[in-house]
Amino acid sequence: MRNTFKIGGIHPSANKTASRRLELLPLPKKAYLPLSQHIGAPATPIVAKGDKVVRGQLIAENSSFVSAGLHAPISGTVSGIENVVLPWGKPSKAIVITASDDEHSADTEAREAYWRDMIPSVCDRTLSERLSGDDIRSAILRAGIVGLGGATFPSHVKLAVKPEQKAEVLIINGCECEPYLMCDDALMCTYPGRIAEGVELMLKAAGIPKAVIAMEDNKPEAAAAIGEALKGNTSVSLRILKTKYPQGGEKQLVEAVTGRRIPSGKLPLSVGAVVNNVATAFAVWQAVATSQPLIERVVTVTGDIPETQRKNYVVALGTPLAELPFTLPAEALAIAGGPMMGRSAVRLDAPVMKGTSGLTILSRPSKRKVEACMRCGACVDACPMGLEPYLLSTYGRLRMWSEAAGADVLDCLECGACSYSCPASRPLLDYIRVAKQRAK
Amino acid sequence: MSPTYILLFTVAVMGCLGLIGALVLYLTAKKFKVEEDPRIDTVEGLLPGANCGACGCKGCRDFASECVKRGKLDGLNCPGAGADGMSRIAAVLGVASVETMRTVAVLKCNGSCAARPAVYDYDGARSCAVMDAVGCGTGGCSYGCLGCGDCVSVCRFGALHIDESTGLPVVDSDACTGCGVCVGECPRHLIELRPAGRRDRRVWVACSSRDKGAVARKICSAACIGCGKCAKTCPFGAIDIADNLSYINPDTCKACGKCVDVCPTGAILSTFKVEPKQPAQV
Amino acid sequence: MNEKLIFSTTPHMHTARTVRGSMLHVLLALLPAVFCSLYFFGVPALMVLCVSVASCVAVEWFVTKYMLRRQATIGDCSAVLTGVLLALNLPSNLPLWMVAAGAIMAIGIAKMAFGGLGCNIFNPALVGRVFLLISFPVAMTSWPLPDAAFGSADGMTGATILSMVKLGNMEPASIPSSDMIWGSMGGSMGEVSAAALLLGFVYLLVVRIIKWHIPVAIVAGLALVDILAGYPVVFDIFSGGLLLGAIFMATDYATSPMTGRGMLLYGLFIGIITASIRRWGAYPEGMSFAILIMNGFTPLINRYMHPRRFSPKQRKEVMA
Repeated sequence: MRNTFKIGGIHPSANKTASRRLELLPLPKKAYLPLSQHIGAPATPIVAKGDKVVRGQLIAENSSFVSAGLHAPISGTVSGIENVVLPWGKPSKAIVITASDDEHSADTEAREAYWRDMIPSVCDRTLSERLSGDDIRSAILRAGIVGLGGATFPSHVKLAVKPEQKAEVLIINGCECEPYLMCDDALMCTYPGRIAEGVELMLKAAGIPKAVIAMEDNKPEAAAAIGEALKGNTSVSLRILKTKYPQGGEKQLVEAVTGRRIPSGKLPLSVGAVVNNVATAFAVWQAVATSQPLIERVVTVTGDIPETQRKNYVVALGTPLAELPFTLPAEALAIAGGPMMGRSAVRLDAPVMKGTSGLTILSRPSKRKVEACMRCGACVDACPMGLEPYLLSTYGRLRMWSEAAGADVLDCLECGACSYSCPASRPLLDYIRVAKQRAK
Repeated sequence: MSPTYILLFTVAVMGCLGLIGALVLYLTAKKFKVEEDPRIDTVEGLLPGANCGACGCKGCRDFASECVKRGKLDGLNCPGAGADGMSRIAAVLGVASVETMRTVAVLKCNGSCAARPAVYDYDGARSCAVMDAVGCGTGGCSYGCLGCGDCVSVCRFGALHIDESTGLPVVDSDACTGCGVCVGECPRHLIELRPAGRRDRRVWVACSSRDKGAVARKICSAACIGCGKCAKTCPFGAIDIADNLSYINPDTCKACGKCVDVCPTGAILSTFKVEPKQPAQV
Repeated sequence: MNEKLIFSTTPHMHTARTVRGSMLHVLLALLPAVFCSLYFFGVPALMVLCVSVASCVAVEWFVTKYMLRRQATIGDCSAVLTGVLLALNLPSNLPLWMVAAGAIMAIGIAKMAFGGLGCNIFNPALVGRVFLLISFPVAMTSWPLPDAAFGSADGMTGATILSMVKLGNMEPASIPSSDMIWGSMGGSMGEVSAAALLLGFVYLLVVRIIKWHIPVAIVAGLALVDILAGYPVVFDIFSGGLLLGAIFMATDYATSPMTGRGMLLYGLFIGIITASIRRWGAYPEGMSFAILIMNGFTPLINRYMHPRRFSPKQRKEVMA
């Protein structure tokens, strides 16, 4: 019997139709690197306008413990530290790097050689045996790695587990429960051995005895690849879960894998678990084994675009979204991420960031027609946190912040299962999100 | 049993019950009576009764009892009652009234439909707070008014409404009491309380964009581009430019209106120049 | 960037289910019962059905257009559903003007006066039925016998088996159970055939329009009282309006609780109250009253029966 989390959840159509083959997207001539691409304090720039930088060079360092550094994804000249817009239209301070033609072609060559030489499937365990946990953690810190599932929490903080915290299991999240997105799937199919190695490195860094790579049963190819790479491995195992959204949510995943529930407002460590994404594991391997900091990530381009354009790309951070190859349908909705939790992207000149797992293009010819709530309770059934979305949403709409807090609005994950399931198309989450902000 | 008897019996029983109930109520009222200064009721009657919280008390009743308790009006002001109301309250308490300057709300954005046409279609709950939580507005400005009227819905004095042609809220300065509820509600902090000014003359910068001039201008033709012409023109040194944005200090501004004339984008508004200068075409 | 992109709030995907779709599913589930009643009661039943549906829709249209002055909501088909349910709760020989009066009560007072779909506290169709039952008790309790059916309704009327049993004219055990299941017994239009209703129940469960909680809890509550009172349980379940009420009336979205636990409590009490009225009350049938009584308690149940939280807090009482 395959496990999943117990309360709520929905089954949106997966639409995972992109190609699993990873392709290199050409490097951009101009890269925009917002200083705040992660949870925590923004990075502090250590370059100034006019400075020459080379690909992989640290350009902004972490300003506090919960923060992450930034590296130049392309060689070139810093053309300024200025406000750029993020995909959803809000401004953010960013370092802008411009490459000359020579630098561009040199970078491209180096990058192609790097990916060509990568051995996909063999798991080499000697590295994690040779290095100490402190070494690995500091390498992760230096590489500016953050959680690549979308939450972008700095990884060195997550892996700094004290022995008295009794971490028992490292859960590697390969669920990718968001519909449409396939970046983790593609990565697992292509580089299973490297991911396994990354997991070993993470185990060593955090001092945790065993790891579980969890994925949903809708990814048989990835499961086979990872299973092959883990053959004979005693510390890392594979766990297949029953597909249900939002399985990739930290709390849901920990429950599905260990059967334990994280108390409200606590971290997974409180039940002895640490959760990281598979893409993060791969980035850790890249940082430790190949000394490449986090300057590229896998981005899925998918949605209502021609089938041949639905692909997974290795994209340099800072590449404008518009450089991804796709044709916009009429009345399009572009989403930075997947359709459930990804934010609506209206500025396609905005850059790919560390948390950008995909670009989903949906065609939306008509607006949602909002009808009256008929109190069917579909949202209550769908909520994975066991909340009452219809009530919280009403509190939010009527500005009853303290009542919303009393009804546990702060436990809301913002997964969107309530709005998804509402037959009256009511924008439940919109008001709940506001109530959550105000109730704090 | 005759019908007459039933009727009489019913009347008698109900009458007795009523009498007993009345007695209980009377005794309870007597026993639990709370002595209260009658002036609290008088003062409360002079207040608008909107419970807006602008005075800092937990509602109008609380404010009234606070006034009576302190016996003086220092630090107590009900913007809703206005200067008239406060002087009447002072008369009730038999103390001198405290002069306070009336303030009114102004909108620090002039991004009308014409100046900042919608570049995106919005599909979601019609609420500024919701819109701001997920990104920029339909006009593409990260700082400007979202036009969903959260301020209008919180105003307890009916002093705000959305102008259909501009898509922006309009403050009715006569009805506005300066309670400041809208100031706290606007997710983009676009509403400022400014002194009403002598003869109702006010000048303010109707823009909050911190974008660089060229960027701001590209998004909105009525944006402040931080050019500094107004600051140079102002004879009283009341204007500062910071973060590509001009700010008129209400304490030193004499409402002469010179800055309104020199502003190249028409981002400075006043209450006394009816037609704000048309923004130049981009 | 020439395209005008849409700026939307998360989530950007939505279920295919709609309000109208849910109503249509329930209507579909009612089809067997409707066919049965048409088969057994013939043309008069069709007339009642048509008048009921037409007047419900007309009343809703009128109220939204001329009294509330908002967009018409008849497109969501909820008025049609109320009309069908009301008709199924009436005897087929009821004068048609009474049917229309019931519809006005159901939609005008019980639904629209409270604010329309989702805002009503009491089940509209049942309010209509109870209004008629109290106002016109004779017309509402003389049922045409089903065997006098199909086209040749010759005016033979009689009491339902429940009232006959109540009056001591009949022994529960003397009624063949096949009659109760297939529908050859007196009663209002929709309650004659248990099999047709159960078919609808299975359909609603399969398409996940309703959950099992309420109907099962109602039957359990009824059985509990029957066992304690020493009354034949199976007879009680299949007689009268219990199944119609349990499957289609008590499960009405707006007037039933939101959570599974709340639904169980609600259903249990409906069962208990129904059985109590049937055993010890003045009326032979208690389903309508039981459902309406528990409708009144639904807001209270929603207030106190919360769903099982993912991580319950040790509650320091926050509520004012």
